[in-house]
Amino acid sequence: MSEVGEVHDLDPEVFEREVRTFDHWFGAVQDYLSDLEHGHRADIASEELAADEVDRLTTALCNYAVAETAALEASSGLVRLAPNHASKIFLATQAVDEARHVEVILQRLEDIGVEDPAAEIERRANPAVREFKNRLLYLVDSNQWDLAIFAQNVSLEAMEFSAFRAHATVGDPVTCDMLERMLRDERRHLGFGENEIARCLRTDPSRGAQIASVKNELESLAINTFEYTAKELEVESDTITKLGRDYRDAVERLGL
Amino acid sequence: MTNFLDAYSIQYWLESCPQGYLEQTEFGHEAGQKEPDALLSDPLLREQAIRVTCQLVSGERAALAASSGLINAAPDEASKRFLATQTLDEARHVEIFTQRLYDLGVKKDELESVLADKTNPNLAQFAEILLEKVDKKDFVSGVVGQNIVLEGMAFTVFEMLEASNKALNPKFAKILSGTIADERRHVGFGENRIGALISQHPEKKPEVEAMQRDMSYFMLATFADQFRNPEMREEIKASREKAGEEQQASWQGAKLGDMEPEELENLLADTVLGEFKQRLSRVGIDYQTPARP
Repeated sequence: MSEVGEVHDLDPEVFEREVRTFDHWFGAVQDYLSDLEHGHRADIASEELAADEVDRLTTALCNYAVAETAALEASSGLVRLAPNHASKIFLATQAVDEARHVEVILQRLEDIGVEDPAAEIERRANPAVREFKNRLLYLVDSNQWDLAIFAQNVSLEAMEFSAFRAHATVGDPVTCDMLERMLRDERRHLGFGENEIARCLRTDPSRGAQIASVKNELESLAINTFEYTAKELEVESDTITKLGRDYRDAVERLGL
Repeated sequence: MTNFLDAYSIQYWLESCPQGYLEQTEFGHEAGQKEPDALLSDPLLREQAIRVTCQLVSGERAALAASSGLINAAPDEASKRFLATQTLDEARHVEIFTQRLYDLGVKKDELESVLADKTNPNLAQFAEILLEKVDKKDFVSGVVGQNIVLEGMAFTVFEMLEASNKALNPKFAKILSGTIADERRHVGFGENRIGALISQHPEKKPEVEAMQRDMSYFMLATFADQFRNPEMREEIKASREKAGEEQQASWQGAKLGDMEPEELENLLADTVLGEFKQRLSRVGIDYQTPARP
């Protein structure tokens, strides 16, 4: 069984055979989800956060919660649209990953003293991430498999990947440990997205124009969300620029 | 509601399922376990095993489509998260029963045609009734159809299959024991969550009850086709000869080896319907007796 970190290097046929199975998912998460407490190691001492740090962390987590809920609803909706059973099984593993992310984020909000996470999310979520969610779910509801996979498994996952890495440069130890384990999931999801979009384009190159159009439509929303949370967390501007470039690189790898 | 849903969290699921009873398994069974030679070398037994497993794959595919489809219809975040774990459980069931078909000699490129050929049309109708509710994002009907009717049926069928395979086919019995543990959790969620929703939406009761009656009819028709099939009689005879007296299985207080196919059909049907009746009454729904095929 291949390690999670290697999924981007796999031959497409091996990817198809191995990564899209419950057994692969099971082996992968056993490695980094064993003996955790709400998504982070139980032995990490929680730092006392100052009031302004709690405020900034709350805003970031509220925005992540919207993005992860979007991913949960979209990945489960995509199970129905998947063109084969191996993809259905992969998306089922992704749905549970996303559900886990929602759960640990809500728990972290409670742990830092947020009494009503749902109300706080409603109050603090950036309009760009809400709009991204609406557009993603529209693509799922209108049965547009390749466009929805691009929006979710490339654009949204790449945005989260950049945001979590930026956060990990300035975050408290508990949040960083939680985010690093989420990043391991996101990497697997991104690998599936890149592989599937490449397969769709090989099968029907004419879809490239439509996928590129969705890419252009979502890019500003994704970058805006990433930059908003990174600035909120007071991530250094050089790091924001570098990770923003990483987001674009992940999307550009598809040659759109 | 919050407290009950805490017991259905991802954290709980991770600890009890992948890090619990599925640890050290490979496609749901212990590493190295194989289908018995006596089954693989007997064309009649192998054919019947393929036929039974096709019903399991088709049923689990319906459960996968239903549980994933219900996530977007769920009225609260915690139910969405539970249904995500159920979606993955169902995907695992599809995978392990599909793998069993391969282990029984079905070729990968023939999988879909074998399933299309052998899946009982009544089971397909049963699934269609449920998926229609899911497509309409009808959460209450969808959860009753999925987590009480479909899962209740699967739970009982798996228990009977597990009992009859324990001595003869430990690999298949082990696969079934893991799925039974999953189904128990799913049925528990259905009962807990739906009770509250039915009391909030009593107007949904007639529709839900009609769905239960129709799904139950197609379930009974599937059982009838399975047990009244002349090949089934031959298969039961052949497997009893292979098992011998000392390995006779019992389930629900009955010695399965002493029963005729029609008696087995009645035992299974009565057990499932009895369970439906109990579970539905716990959530405030009046059980509807289906026509007997």
